[in-house]
Amino acid sequence: MLLRSAFPAFLRMSLATMFQYRGEIALWAIWGVVYPSVAMAMWAAAVAGSPDGQTIRGFAPRDFAAYFWLTMVVGHATTAWDVYELGYFVQTGQFSPRLLRPVLPVWQSLADNLAYKLVTLAILVPIWAVIVLLTRPAFGTRTVDLAAGLPAVLLAAAVNYGWCYNVAMLSFWVTRMDAIGQGWFGAGLFFGGRLAPLALMPEALRKIASALPFKWVTWFPCETLMGRLSPAAVTQGLINQLAWIALGLVVFRIAWRLGIRRYSGVGA
Amino acid sequence: MRYLRLIGLFAKVSVQNDAAYRADFAAHVAVTLLNFAAELVGLWTIFSNTGSLGGWNAWHMLALLGVFRGMYGIIGLFISPNMRRIMDDVRQGTLDFVLIKPVNAQFYASFRGLVVWRLADILLGAVLVAAACARLSAEVTVAGLALFVAMLACGVTIIYSFWLVLATGAFWLTRVTNMEMVFWNVFEAGRYPVEIYPPAVRWMLTYVVPLAFLTTFPAGSLIGKVEPFNVAAAAGFAALALAGASWFWRFGLRRYSGASA
Repeated sequence: MLLRSAFPAFLRMSLATMFQYRGEIALWAIWGVVYPSVAMAMWAAAVAGSPDGQTIRGFAPRDFAAYFWLTMVVGHATTAWDVYELGYFVQTGQFSPRLLRPVLPVWQSLADNLAYKLVTLAILVPIWAVIVLLTRPAFGTRTVDLAAGLPAVLLAAAVNYGWCYNVAMLSFWVTRMDAIGQGWFGAGLFFGGRLAPLALMPEALRKIASALPFKWVTWFPCETLMGRLSPAAVTQGLINQLAWIALGLVVFRIAWRLGIRRYSGVGA
Repeated sequence: MRYLRLIGLFAKVSVQNDAAYRADFAAHVAVTLLNFAAELVGLWTIFSNTGSLGGWNAWHMLALLGVFRGMYGIIGLFISPNMRRIMDDVRQGTLDFVLIKPVNAQFYASFRGLVVWRLADILLGAVLVAAACARLSAEVTVAGLALFVAMLACGVTIIYSFWLVLATGAFWLTRVTNMEMVFWNVFEAGRYPVEIYPPAVRWMLTYVVPLAFLTTFPAGSLIGKVEPFNVAAAAGFAALALAGASWFWRFGLRRYSGASA
């Protein structure tokens, strides 16, 4: 009941804050554009150097353009940075005032997350449009792909947010989160299929990717939206996403209870 | 001579400072190794699907990656930390303490602190370049190696000048720390040869944000892949950039009004 009135208030507050710092957060958002653009150019060049010079495993340059454009958009929709933020709050003691509120701190972070994604759309949508005009991606999306892909993006955002927060809670035990944060983001880029669609990865790496949540965060929604997956694979993927969310919730409840007992404010 | 001795002294003090935080040092080296592993795995993925990237094969790319990592280390070793300090000093008025030292202010401001653990990046980069050279021994000549070292020196000079201009911008803009983030964003593009980009982007990465001079051209000179024009351009650009940036720094200093302003 309390949450129902508190969350909209958090969201209004976050929106106002994000709007205040719009210049700075725009720079963060643009990072999400550079990485896929570089990957796009790189794979277009790789196609030219491949044995047949036309495609790589069914991807022509314009398919790569579509795939990486989608990773750009899905990457924005699913982003989460709590690994760094929570660690910083815990380290500096700024977490204490948040704990005093009668609502779990995760809700305030979630409001920040949503506000960031909404406010930066103002700069990202024009950039995304220009990139489509310049690269002319071959999307191949049908209505049915949209119908499956949009829920997949929402679930992907939930998977990433939940697991990012779970990993962030390691900061109750570990003082320096830099290495863990970088490892988390690096693994997300690679095993999420943001450097290359999973089909292009060596077999050994694809096996590792199957054991991690990242492929359900980026690769799966993107390939679904491109209409490259069979109906069975799409259903299976959605089930996997739900399973990761459920597992994430269980881990959250346990880790939160144990972690909060370890937290002792500044100077811990 | 005196300047070299001073750099040695700055390095010694930096090592002593960092020695107080050994766990931090270890964590940073761990992150470096993690990045390094990710880059190698990325290369593996790319070259299990294709034979070349804009005319660069896997071993050429390994050399390029080594140069990229080395440059990343050099920028992090002394350029970005000192330039960040200049920006902070200008904002807070503490640049006074730089100016009253009995030594050239630009020299002192540029070399006073070193981030020691960045040497790990430089070392890893050197190992990659050496491995690529060993494999490409047919293509790498002594002249190519000499040209490589010269081009690296040009690249470091250019990027130092680029950062000095950004930092000097603080005299007018006061808050330029965000520029740093923009730079690191764009720097990502330097991990691949500029040949893979469309002509307009390639031009920008050469002359606006001079990434090509940092990674593509030095690595290219190692394997005989750089055009004579670009060698001349690198030398000319480096000399011009250093002179221009130093002039801009002195020009900016005249605007600086100290802590009590």
